[in-house]
Amino acid sequence: MLLHLLVLAPFVAAILMVMTSKEDSKSSSRLAILMGIGFTAMSVALIAGGSVSTDAVEWFQIPGCKGPVYYYLTSHGLASWMVFLSSGLSLVSLISARGITCRSYRNFAIGIFSLMGAMNGTFLAADAVLFFFFFEAMVIPAAVLIAGFGGKDRMKAAMTFAIYTLVGSAPMMVALWYILTIADNSTLISIAVAVQGLPEATQNVLLVCFLLAFLVKTPIFPFHGWQAITYAEAPAPLSAILTGAMSKAGVFGFIVWILPIFPLSMNAVSCMMWLGLLTAVYGALMALRATDGKKLLAFSSMGHLGLAVAGVFSLSEAMLPAVLVLLVAHGISAGAQFYLMGIAERMAGTRELDKLGGLSSKNPVFSTLFGFAGVMALAVPGTAGFVGEFSVLLTLWDMGPLPALVAGFTLILSAAYMLRFIQKVIFGKQAREYEEGRRTMPLEGVSIAVMLLLLLVFGFHPAYVTDSLNETEVTEDPAAAQVLNSAALNNGEAPMTAEEIHQLDSTLAAAGFKDDERASIIAQMKGDASADAKSEKSVKEASDAK
Amino acid sequence: MISLGLIPLFPLLGCIILGAIAVISAGSKKGPAEGFVGTLAVLFPALSFAGVALLSLNMPEGGIRETLCNWIDIPMFRVDIGFLFDGLSRIMLLFVTGIGSLIALYSIGYMHGDRGFARYFAYINLFLFSMIVLVLSDNLLLTFLGWEGVGLCSYLLIGFWNKDIKNCHAANKAFIVNRVGDIGFLLGMLCLVTIGGSAILNYDVLTNFISMVISGNHVDLVIPVLSIAGILFFIGCTGKSAQIPLLTWLPDAMAGPTPVSALIHAATMVTSGVYLLARLGSMFALLPVVLDIIVVVGMLTAFWAAVAGLFQNDIKKVLAYSTISQLGYMFMASGVCAFDASIFHVFTHAFFKAALFLGAGAVIHALSGEQDMRKMGGLLKKTPVTACVMIFAFLAIVGFPGFSGFWSKDLILEKIFMSGTMGQAVYVVGLITAVITAVYMGRLIILTFFGSYRGSKESEEHIHEAPAVMLIPMVILAFGAVFAGYLWADSIGIKFFAETLAPVVGAAQAYNTPAVVAHVNPVVFAALGTVAALLGMFIAYKIYANARIPAAKGSSAPEGGKATWTFLFDSIHKYVGIIPVNVLAWICDVVVDKILAAAQWTIGAIATILGDGAASFQVRKVRLQIALSILGLVALLAIVILTGGTL
Repeated sequence: MLLHLLVLAPFVAAILMVMTSKEDSKSSSRLAILMGIGFTAMSVALIAGGSVSTDAVEWFQIPGCKGPVYYYLTSHGLASWMVFLSSGLSLVSLISARGITCRSYRNFAIGIFSLMGAMNGTFLAADAVLFFFFFEAMVIPAAVLIAGFGGKDRMKAAMTFAIYTLVGSAPMMVALWYILTIADNSTLISIAVAVQGLPEATQNVLLVCFLLAFLVKTPIFPFHGWQAITYAEAPAPLSAILTGAMSKAGVFGFIVWILPIFPLSMNAVSCMMWLGLLTAVYGALMALRATDGKKLLAFSSMGHLGLAVAGVFSLSEAMLPAVLVLLVAHGISAGAQFYLMGIAERMAGTRELDKLGGLSSKNPVFSTLFGFAGVMALAVPGTAGFVGEFSVLLTLWDMGPLPALVAGFTLILSAAYMLRFIQKVIFGKQAREYEEGRRTMPLEGVSIAVMLLLLLVFGFHPAYVTDSLNETEVTEDPAAAQVLNSAALNNGEAPMTAEEIHQLDSTLAAAGFKDDERASIIAQMKGDASADAKSEKSVKEASDAK
Repeated sequence: MISLGLIPLFPLLGCIILGAIAVISAGSKKGPAEGFVGTLAVLFPALSFAGVALLSLNMPEGGIRETLCNWIDIPMFRVDIGFLFDGLSRIMLLFVTGIGSLIALYSIGYMHGDRGFARYFAYINLFLFSMIVLVLSDNLLLTFLGWEGVGLCSYLLIGFWNKDIKNCHAANKAFIVNRVGDIGFLLGMLCLVTIGGSAILNYDVLTNFISMVISGNHVDLVIPVLSIAGILFFIGCTGKSAQIPLLTWLPDAMAGPTPVSALIHAATMVTSGVYLLARLGSMFALLPVVLDIIVVVGMLTAFWAAVAGLFQNDIKKVLAYSTISQLGYMFMASGVCAFDASIFHVFTHAFFKAALFLGAGAVIHALSGEQDMRKMGGLLKKTPVTACVMIFAFLAIVGFPGFSGFWSKDLILEKIFMSGTMGQAVYVVGLITAVITAVYMGRLIILTFFGSYRGSKESEEHIHEAPAVMLIPMVILAFGAVFAGYLWADSIGIKFFAETLAPVVGAAQAYNTPAVVAHVNPVVFAALGTVAALLGMFIAYKIYANARIPAAKGSSAPEGGKATWTFLFDSIHKYVGIIPVNVLAWICDVVVDKILAAAQWTIGAIATILGDGAASFQVRKVRLQIALSILGLVALLAIVILTGGTL
């Protein structure tokens, strides 16, 4: 029920907003914020409730495909946290937007709610077509909002954003359609089984098509062309959602839709990891040179997500909790920074770093929050960012010292650009007299302060976040049986190679199996197969870790 | 018995309360009542000091261990929040909280009338919290929390007067240079995790692991990995403790308020590198190569900074370089595995350097903000208490017989000499450095307190002795500067200090004791040290007592060759670090990004052109439209049939 509500109710909320008065932004904002609080509460309940799934309802049949498409939602630790990000950030956006869109708050809220519904659908979908539907649907409200409420270059930004991301996921659509002509139906497991049976060359083509969609969405170098202008031109509350929640759909896609489906070769894995690291360095370097506050934040987000992607493809055992904490931390801290930058822009009328400055004496409460948020983004120990970055570094260290060294280098760079950013915005003398814009509103300030407090709480007790990964119920999970079956089929034909076992291991890990269960499955797998030394090692590692 | 968790909790509470006061009162014109804020600011550190004192008296031989709760628990990695109170952390905590409280008291006078009064004390309390966590933690990761925490507070306090953009730059520099070191620390931890799992980050487990390795004769097996870890940790230490090559931030850090320089950049934070080396002593004792690196780096730093100290005109800069130089001594001691001697010097140094800084602060306060020594002089009569405090501390730092620095510095030099052939060469450099120390410190004292006043006439009227709230901490610290050395006075048979540290660092030091101990009478070292101090003072007197001091013009920064020497490492950083990164960033921004944008544009343009071409079909020619439709349908059907689909 909760799942249906989280996905469908935002659209109902959007329709409700249509009925509110266009003139009276006060009443419509109250309604919107109330509903936003409701959604956030539901997402918290979702996290607390552990994994649930809805019944698979047959939705429609794609011509030429074997099975039907289901309306089938499921939640696991990762998904429910992403839903929390999307609803929580939407709530703060609805609060913060009161300061910038007095004229047509109603329309803004309509857009935010539809965006939220699409994002929740993306994170909760258990059916590939449903996932793709929502994945594409996210773009539309976002683009409309940018075009309607953005800065000077808003039309260009909206077009770039929409076309770039839609084109990026077009190959995925074709690949998905191709897979569906083979697979029994469009659920994750049957797709995975279908792909396993394909020749390697076909697999690779399909993989590239899938990867492209997520690479663009995250974005990963060199597919980041849309990002800076979009985040900069979008209204700050929207940028916060875009980076805090929507960009996570890319990383989420890597974890949930790439790793389980495709048997990745070691080459592909290390290639993706290096691409992630390259993005991290590139984002940090671009942020060093950025002159526009929001662009700086955009590149900083790009860097952090690059690090997250690198962590995903380390395929280490600690990957999932590490990346989850990093994503949650980044979502909250980058979101808070965008809101604050929006306030700074509102107060000073510019987002050029050289024309800002001296806000600390003008508005101490704001600058306290701003400085605090900046420090959080630096991943100082005790904040959630540190736990995320440290554990990602740990997983990268597994791949060798060099990736960890590069990741460490980006941490130094991030200190450099973030401190410069803080200094340019709040310290020093005022560059000029600012026209009196709207200052921090109490509710806005409180909500940002709550976000920052959450970061501290997760920093000192990350178990709140990571525990949700362990609650996955697996006993009755059909996924286990299916994977086992498909693997057993393989087993009859040829002994599994180390790589396949590794792949299976990561598949199971992504599906939320615990270490001991994974170990036992793998042990079962290679019971009669002549396992080589490496697979034995991986099993031993798994059992050691337990 | 009180819980260990209370000790860091007090300053944390103080930080939260004072921070709340600072934020709430930010809007008001007048600001909060200074008396109230000041009382709170001193109360919490003092409570924590009382707690430490109470614990110290009742500490069992093996120390107190306490695990509060779990921190991180993910596959492959599990760390708890736990505290370890033993001989080493006892000493460190006693002077951290003690000197912290004294300096908080002093700050009430120094920061009087400042608009950010409450904010300042919130930062100071946050610093003490982080420093206590650093010292009290029982594992490396929690130490790292304190480690970055003190770095953050140092950043906040250096840039405390953030209206001046120069202070902000100094703060940024401090944080970034420290970050470089911190990454070393981080990677060092990862390196350790590779060999022993996450449990090895706990100090007890690490020590047990090392002793198992030694007893099992597996030393050669682990040395390669441990050496890498050791070097990485040492990089972390060079950052925090301002050693070559990461030392450029400390002189700039003098931009902060003077009590901050005394507390953070002299007495406590900068010594955390020495603390870490001692804490990981059992590991470093196995690594002869790393130890040699530490000795050489410490020696070079001590010598270079002492010479640089000669060239400074800013009174705080002299003390900053002197701090770097003294830290070099501590690293030299760590490098020959004399961890008890290095911690002893940390201890005595905390007193005399804090006294010197507070004295300098009082001088600056008296002269309404003047820091250039060329505009001082003759202050002995005008500020007699400050002068006495500083002269006592001066005698301590140069190693005048009987003062605290004499005991600790001579101990270090003696241990270095005893460590082997390389040690004897290092000893000579150390002794020369001691002479230079006496010269630049003598110069500071002479220029400030003797001769005649060189500032403007109007300013002379306003010179006043500091208020009591500032003088009391200074006098207490001066007492420490004189007598702290008697906790370990080898020549008169007191070894209290060494004995309290023995349970922690004894094993490590025993492992590394040189096989052949040269027999030299300890009196020889004492005599040589005394000669060095007296010689330096004599040189300083000869040069500066009657010299004409050139009139101060422009900035107080050294010029010409002196500047080259002083800013040697700044320029190395510039060419090795900053410029390459900027060039790389430029390439990304101007070259790569533009190429990508061009590629994007090309694809877009091609699509547009194709689209325009296709649009020309959209004309009102019914027959053509139908023909095209049929063609398309056939093509679709063909594709579906060819790919094996059924209709």
